[in-house]
Amino acid sequence: MSLTTPNQANQPILDVRDLRVEFDTYGGIVKAVRGVNFAVAPGKTLAIVGESGCGKSVTVQSLMGLIPTPPGRITSGSVKFQGREILGLPPKEANKIRGKEIGMIFQDPMSSLNPTMTVGKQIAETLRYHENITFEEGRVRAIELLEQVQIPEPAARVDAYPFQFSGGMRQRVMIAMAIACNPKLLIADEPTTALDVTVQAQILNLMKKLQRERGMSIILITHDLGVVAQMADDVAVMYAGQVVEYGSVDSIFFHSSHPYTLGLRAAMPGHDEDPKGTAKRKLKPIEGSPPDLFHPPKGCGYAARCPHAMKACATKMPPLWELETGHGSRCWLHHESGARNAPAELFRGKLISPQSLTQS
Amino acid sequence: MFSYIGKRLTAGLVTVFFIASVTFAAMHIVPGDPLMGNKAMSPEIRANLEHKYGLDRPVAEQYVRYLANMAQGDFGISFTQKNRTVNDIIVSHFPISAILGILAVAFAALGGILYGSLAALGRGKWSDRTIMFLVILGVSVPSFVFAALGQLSLTLINKKAGFEVLPVGGWGTLSHMILPALVLGLGTMAFLTRLMRSALLEIVHQDYIRTAKAKGLPPVRIFFSHQLRNAILPVITYLGPAIATITTGGFVVESVFAIPGLGRYFVQAIQQLDYTVIMGLTVFYGAFLVFMVITVDIVYGLVDPRISVTKGKS
Repeated sequence: MSLTTPNQANQPILDVRDLRVEFDTYGGIVKAVRGVNFAVAPGKTLAIVGESGCGKSVTVQSLMGLIPTPPGRITSGSVKFQGREILGLPPKEANKIRGKEIGMIFQDPMSSLNPTMTVGKQIAETLRYHENITFEEGRVRAIELLEQVQIPEPAARVDAYPFQFSGGMRQRVMIAMAIACNPKLLIADEPTTALDVTVQAQILNLMKKLQRERGMSIILITHDLGVVAQMADDVAVMYAGQVVEYGSVDSIFFHSSHPYTLGLRAAMPGHDEDPKGTAKRKLKPIEGSPPDLFHPPKGCGYAARCPHAMKACATKMPPLWELETGHGSRCWLHHESGARNAPAELFRGKLISPQSLTQS
Repeated sequence: MFSYIGKRLTAGLVTVFFIASVTFAAMHIVPGDPLMGNKAMSPEIRANLEHKYGLDRPVAEQYVRYLANMAQGDFGISFTQKNRTVNDIIVSHFPISAILGILAVAFAALGGILYGSLAALGRGKWSDRTIMFLVILGVSVPSFVFAALGQLSLTLINKKAGFEVLPVGGWGTLSHMILPALVLGLGTMAFLTRLMRSALLEIVHQDYIRTAKAKGLPPVRIFFSHQLRNAILPVITYLGPAIATITTGGFVVESVFAIPGLGRYFVQAIQQLDYTVIMGLTVFYGAFLVFMVITVDIVYGLVDPRISVTKGKS
């Protein structure tokens, strides 16, 4: 089961269902991703939000087959890309999708480029492998791509090495590499976390521009709600290896219906409910820390930190409730018996159809 | 670039000067002199000889004269080998040591890179364990053991084959060089294998390898174009000094295989306190080592673009 937001009226380009990923470690088995569902609409941006360690990166890396196995293991789930199952593809088939159909950029542009290869060669490498072009063509295309990602003097820069570039420029190079083969989907794993704020904005604008020009979809992983507001069409809020709230960007911000989302919003400066910034508001951190995923809680992962937790929360896994079209929340407060515990700011909507309660 | 090389060479000359001075001092501190070995020598003859070789002059004067000659490329005449200049000894025997040394290093580098890669690729599997076991053997067993074992097995092989597959000793053709070069390079190869393996294993976890995977490159391509080149850097660093030490330190192997290399003369000279030969060879070896280190630094700049030898900062 996965919800379909209004943005996803057409067939989604990527459809992830019940994805589960575990890691074998010395301390035991870490259940990093525990049944994640989401979909990405063509030409739209899905933001995956959550704090460190909630499984956002593991989720997207397992889509790309980048989880080192062992120790990692995808125990169940289905990932359909353009209607085709891509989990468990033989390596050769998977390589035809990676880099060509799905591009990916990473958090740390300082270490994500090979230090002993010119940026031009690194960009052309993707093209040459997927499109069988000559060395010279690759170079020409690399220059074009550098120009598209707005690197000044691309013809001169194509022969430069990564260490001669600043962090922002390197992230542009990463983007050029990821979009070289015109992928349908770009996965950006915290692309701006390592960059300073002015450069962040430039990179995000660049991604938006490229998305408009090429009509590609983007999965944007971030823990910055400001970035989400600027970029996303749909949002999946992740906590402890699960999607706890899911919906269009407006419904997530204006109809937040999971206590964790409320907590995130309260911890963020520049609240959207106060456009003039007159009312003074203290930032409120979420107390406590995420649960130990060696022994994930039986009930709701957020119960231990949730100010509105009820008895049932600790023992029974809440199902996903659909509140509006394509807007879902995994929280017991939406159950009729939880209603009196729900805080005023929590959007409860009309429970259109509680999704099957057997769904864990 | 040229000014950089000039600077390094000047510094190298200073180093060589210090080597020469320290060797000179050390040699004169050791009791005895080159004429001591000849017992039946009358005081008159001894005085004559001392006068001929300049040993009757004050040490300071000998030192200055020695340096002056050395600056002109003249290391003097051997005390113990009649009518042979030190230059002569170097010219006729160093090429032999050098060829053997270069072969040994080439073998060590190729083997080290190959076995290190195999071990890293099969990490934790039997191939890795076997290679790492052999590495420990290679590092810890001295070369004369391998030399003797090599000769023994070669003798058996030759006997079994009924003809000489490879000669057991001596010098002359390429076939003479193979076994000594293998034996001489073994220790270095073992060390380089370990270096290569750990460098590769470290690089596997680098972010840029993940990037390469995300580009959809097949593993073989990732290995050759991304992992290998970055892993080879520490090997290159070690290679320069290795060439110098192997070339100059092959004495044991040279004597086991009866190879007329320079090492034999060096040891002989030290036993007989042959001043000029000791000085000449030490300075020559020192200069060679300095030269190799400079060469490697320059090569390093070519392999790793981050290291610029000409600019102070990049």
